[in-house]
Amino acid sequence: MAKFGGTHMLELRNIHTHYGLSHVLQGISLTVERGEVLGLFGRNGVGKTTLIKTVAGWVTPSEGQYEFEGQSMLGVSSDQICRKGIGLVPEDRRIFPGLSVEENLVLGFMQTPAVGRAQQARKLESIYQRFPRLAERRKQSGTTLSGGEQQMLAIARVLVGEPKLLQIDEPTEGLAPMIVNEIFDLILALRQDGVPIILVEQNVHRAIEVVTRFCVIERGRIVLQGRADDPESHQTLLKQLAM
Amino acid sequence: MAEALEWMQYVLAPQVINGASIGVAVVLMALGLTIIFGLLDVINMAHGEFYAMGAYAAVILIAIGIPFWWALLLTPLFMAVVGYAVERTLIQRVFHSKDRHTLTLLLTFGLAIVLEDVLKIAFGANPMRIETPIGGSIEVFGLFFPNYRMFVMGMGSAIVAAVWIFIFRTRVGAIVRAAAFDRHMTASLGVPVNKVYALTFALGVALAGIAGVLLAPIYSVFPTMGRDFVLIAFSVVIIGGMGSIKGAVIAGLLLTQIQSISSLYISPVWSDPLLFGCMVLVLMWRPQGLFGRLGHG
Repeated sequence: MAKFGGTHMLELRNIHTHYGLSHVLQGISLTVERGEVLGLFGRNGVGKTTLIKTVAGWVTPSEGQYEFEGQSMLGVSSDQICRKGIGLVPEDRRIFPGLSVEENLVLGFMQTPAVGRAQQARKLESIYQRFPRLAERRKQSGTTLSGGEQQMLAIARVLVGEPKLLQIDEPTEGLAPMIVNEIFDLILALRQDGVPIILVEQNVHRAIEVVTRFCVIERGRIVLQGRADDPESHQTLLKQLAM
Repeated sequence: MAEALEWMQYVLAPQVINGASIGVAVVLMALGLTIIFGLLDVINMAHGEFYAMGAYAAVILIAIGIPFWWALLLTPLFMAVVGYAVERTLIQRVFHSKDRHTLTLLLTFGLAIVLEDVLKIAFGANPMRIETPIGGSIEVFGLFFPNYRMFVMGMGSAIVAAVWIFIFRTRVGAIVRAAAFDRHMTASLGVPVNKVYALTFALGVALAGIAGVLLAPIYSVFPTMGRDFVLIAFSVVIIGGMGSIKGAVIAGLLLTQIQSISSLYISPVWSDPLLFGCMVLVLMWRPQGLFGRLGHG
């Protein structure tokens, strides 16, 4: 394994995270490289979302090291982590009520405060081209959208800031099968655009089609890692998750 | 018919105008309180003392020869700096603890006691007055109203409108509303939420300060002047909905009108019990207040 502080885009080494007395992450070590989509799989409550929150700075690890592009992110606030280039689409979308679709999107520009208004307008138009349903509803309150549209909005809101690494937590939870297909198509398109992604997903059968590599987490530890294009790893994964 | 018109012109209208001029100042106070609560979840018990500090700041500025109009501009700026410093140095210390609500309540309550005593030591307990900057009166429908009260109404309304536009029609306002609803998600979009909190606290304190300056020429300036006034503002915020800007404006204007008009029929001694009675009724019927909280749709 490469030395810590090497060329990995994201590197976590022996991360432990506690919620009070509950020891949720118990020594997670992983890396994410440029251009890859890493799937985090495992049953509910094993620590996948906590891992995402730790990377986003919502939760402070009690032990371990965490670097992004060679810089330590320990003790860095979540707004600074975001401005360094780590975008987050959280589990429950967290669309701001009372804010229109466009206001929700415009907030995403806070990830890159140096970008001028003209460039922002161009970026917004390109986002609307990618998500035409959001363009149709740009003046509508974000929370009045359907579940699928809200998920699109949550992803688009982060994409306006052009994150270097995108974390997406359970994007298809509670969505109709047709919308689920759209979300996976979008993730695949982002992968083709070269956006590195950490994807937490329960729908492993579909997720394995879009990820390049995966980790299975159990009780706060990584118990299995593999490549998605390796049929043997694929079978071990399904066996591990008892599917 | 003629009697009714005369009653409206000579009895009701003056009460309505007087009530409105106090109402606008109450709204300014309540607006600061409700914005601070809506965003930070902090019940600012020192808000009345910030109002008094605003009035005393104007007294000092005028005493050293600065015109009232400059004092009206400089005091809210000074109070905004005070508010920013209080948020960063005191509120932030306890803001992330589990007992945040209790600790911030006790902290601001303690701060209120300290500020009140500092004002007593610095200026004494005797009331002070500021000369009314606009003399004379204006005739409206055959009645004369002091020009300064009309100015307070106009200025207060303009400030309320400006705050409304700032919160609901600007990008920064959208950030404030987003941070009020979900600070984690807002931070994960790159917003320095702690700075937004401090600046919003500063805005709330500046609004209390500007209410202090505006009312200083109408009422006396004394160290405990904020106590009674903040009770009315708290009632307004509770009735309008804790954290609701719309609620603070509507409840503030409505309640001061109820107080003002009721004093035609009942002793003014009963005006505060009437106000608190309204608050109890609203709490029984709609405990969350009349309108929704800032950032919650």
